[in-house]
Amino acid sequence: MRAHEDIRTVTMGLVAEIAETDIVSIHDGQRLREDLGLDSLQSLELLSSISEALSIDLDVEMAMGIRTVEDACSFVAAQYEEQRINGQRAAR
Amino acid sequence: MASALQGETRTDEAEILEALLPEVTRFLSACVDGYAIDRDGRIPETVRAGLGRLGLFGMTIPEAYGGAGLSLGSACRIVAELARVDRSVAIMVGLHAGLGTRGLVELGSPALRARWLPRLASGDCIASFAATEAGAGSALTAIGTTGRVAGGTLHLDGEKSYVTNGGFAGLFTALVRTPGLGGERAHSLVCVPAGARGLTIGPEEKKLGIRGSSTVTVSFDDVEVPLDHVLGTPGDGMRQASALLAWGRTLMSAGCVGAARGALDATLGYVRERRQFGGLIGDFAATRAHVAWMAARLVAMDSLVRSVGDAEHAGESIEVESAVAKVFCSEGAFEVCDRAVQLHGALGFLEETGVPRILRDTRITRIFEGANDVLLLRIGAAALGESPAILTGATTGHGGPWVRGAERLEAFACSLRHEVDAVRQSFGVRAVRHQLTLQRVARAVICARAASACLLRSPGDPDADLAAHAAQLLVGEGNAWLSGLSRADDDEAAARVVTDRLYAR
Repeated sequence: MRAHEDIRTVTMGLVAEIAETDIVSIHDGQRLREDLGLDSLQSLELLSSISEALSIDLDVEMAMGIRTVEDACSFVAAQYEEQRINGQRAAR
Repeated sequence: MASALQGETRTDEAEILEALLPEVTRFLSACVDGYAIDRDGRIPETVRAGLGRLGLFGMTIPEAYGGAGLSLGSACRIVAELARVDRSVAIMVGLHAGLGTRGLVELGSPALRARWLPRLASGDCIASFAATEAGAGSALTAIGTTGRVAGGTLHLDGEKSYVTNGGFAGLFTALVRTPGLGGERAHSLVCVPAGARGLTIGPEEKKLGIRGSSTVTVSFDDVEVPLDHVLGTPGDGMRQASALLAWGRTLMSAGCVGAARGALDATLGYVRERRQFGGLIGDFAATRAHVAWMAARLVAMDSLVRSVGDAEHAGESIEVESAVAKVFCSEGAFEVCDRAVQLHGALGFLEETGVPRILRDTRITRIFEGANDVLLLRIGAAALGESPAILTGATTGHGGPWVRGAERLEAFACSLRHEVDAVRQSFGVRAVRHQLTLQRVARAVICARAASACLLRSPGDPDADLAAHAAQLLVGEGNAWLSGLSRADDDEAAARVVTDRLYAR
C-alpha cells in the first residue's frame, strides 16, 4: 500500500513529465489546460500513465471532469483508496 | 454592386440569405474563373474587391462595425456557395470570417475592435490566423513562438507555418506561448498587425491544391505589440483557440459541402450527355449507384453542417461536433470528388474539365485545422467521457423510409452506447493507448451524428427522402465500424509486426 503523499508525488511527477516541465514548477492550483497546456487527449494520457504507475483502474467518465492538478491528485488518491478497500473485502 | 448585406432594413437571417445567395451566385458565375485562379496561383484583385462589395468579408462581423452580424450557420451557407465554384476563394473568405476575425470580435478590447473591425468588414484589410509551427501541427501545445512581457509591451519571437491568407493579410491572430501571462506554459491569442517591425512574410508555398489561396510562413523577430493586443483573458489562449477552431472547422466543413455539390453538378451534367454502348452512361445501374451515393453523402454532409450551425446558435459547445463535421465532410467531399473523376472517365483526368481541380483542392481538408487521424482520437475520447446522445428526430408527417431510418438509428444508437460502455469497462482511461479502438468508436459516433442530422430535417424539406436514404446508409456504415471494434487490438498488433520489420530495414 502506498502512502497518500507517495500517490501525490507519482501524480505530480507524471503531470510534469507530460507537460514537459520541471516538477518543482507544478502546484495544486494549476489548470491542466490553461496553465499547463494539456489538451483533452494529453489529460487522458496523463491519467493513463498514472493508472499504470499505480496499478489501478481510473473511471474514464469521472476522469474527463478533472480540471486542475489538485483535482487529479484528489481523484487518483480517492480511486486508489476505494480500490484498496474493495481489494481487501474481496480477499476476505 | 448593391448587396443584400448593405440594406438598411434587416429582417431575419433567412431573408438576408435568400437575397444574398443569388447575388453571390451571379458574381461567381460572372467574375470567378476557378481554372485561371488555379493556373495563376492567385485570386485576382478584382475578385477580392467584388467579394468586398458584396459584403462577404463582413458577414460575421457585428453590424456596429459595418458587418452583417450573421450567424455561423448563415456564413456556412455562403462559404458553401463560394466553394461550389472555387475552393481558394471560399477558404480566403471562410478563414477571414472564422479564425481570422472571430477572436477579435469575441474577445478584443473595445478600442482594438473599433480600430480594426470596420476595415476587416469592408475587406480593405484581410485577416489571417497563425497557430501551426514546424514542430507543432495537430499538437498545438508544442508551440514554441513566445511572447515575453518587457517594458509594458509584448515581444514576439518565433515562426508560424502554413499561414492561410498570410501573403496579403493586414492583421494576424497568433497563438503564442506567454510565460509572463498566466502560468509558465500558458498561451495567449495576440493580434499582430502585418506592418509590425520584425514581422516577415515568407514566399508563397507551392501546393497540391487550393493554389489560389495564400499559404506562407510568418516570422516574428522581436515583434513588439501593445499588451491590449492580447485577446481576452491573458494566458487563456489554448481554450480560446479551441473555440475559434470550432468555428473554423465548421466553415471548412461547409466548404466541403460546396465542393461536393460542384463535383456532383458536374457529374450530373456529364452522365446525362455521355453515350457509350448505345446508351447514356447515366442510365447504367453502376453509374446510378455512384450518383445516388454521391447525392446521399452530400445531403448528409449538408445536414450535419446545418446541425452544427444550429447548435452554435443555441449556445451549445460545438468543439466536438465541429470535429465530427470536419472529419465527415472532408472525407465525404474527397470521396464524392473521386467518384466524379471516375464517372468522367479519361476526361476526369484533364484539368480543362475542372474536375481534377476540385479533387486536388479537397485533399487538404483531411489534414488542416486538425488532421483527421488526431480528431478521430479526440472524438473517440470525448465519447468515452460522455455517452453521445443521438437524436432520432420526430417521425410525424414523414413517410416509410423516414420511419425505417429512425427505427434503425435508434437501434444503432443503443448498440453504440453498449459498445462505448464495454470499451470503458475494458480499458478505463487506458483506452487512450488503444488508438484503433478510439478511432472506430469515433467513426461510429460520426455515422450516428450524421444520420441523426439527416433525420432532423422537416417533412416539407425537398431533400427529406434523400436524407432518410442517407441515414439508412450511415447506420449500415456505423454498424460495420462497431463490429470492427472487437478486432481493433488485433489489427494494432498486426500493424506493429509489419512496421517493426519495415522500420528495422
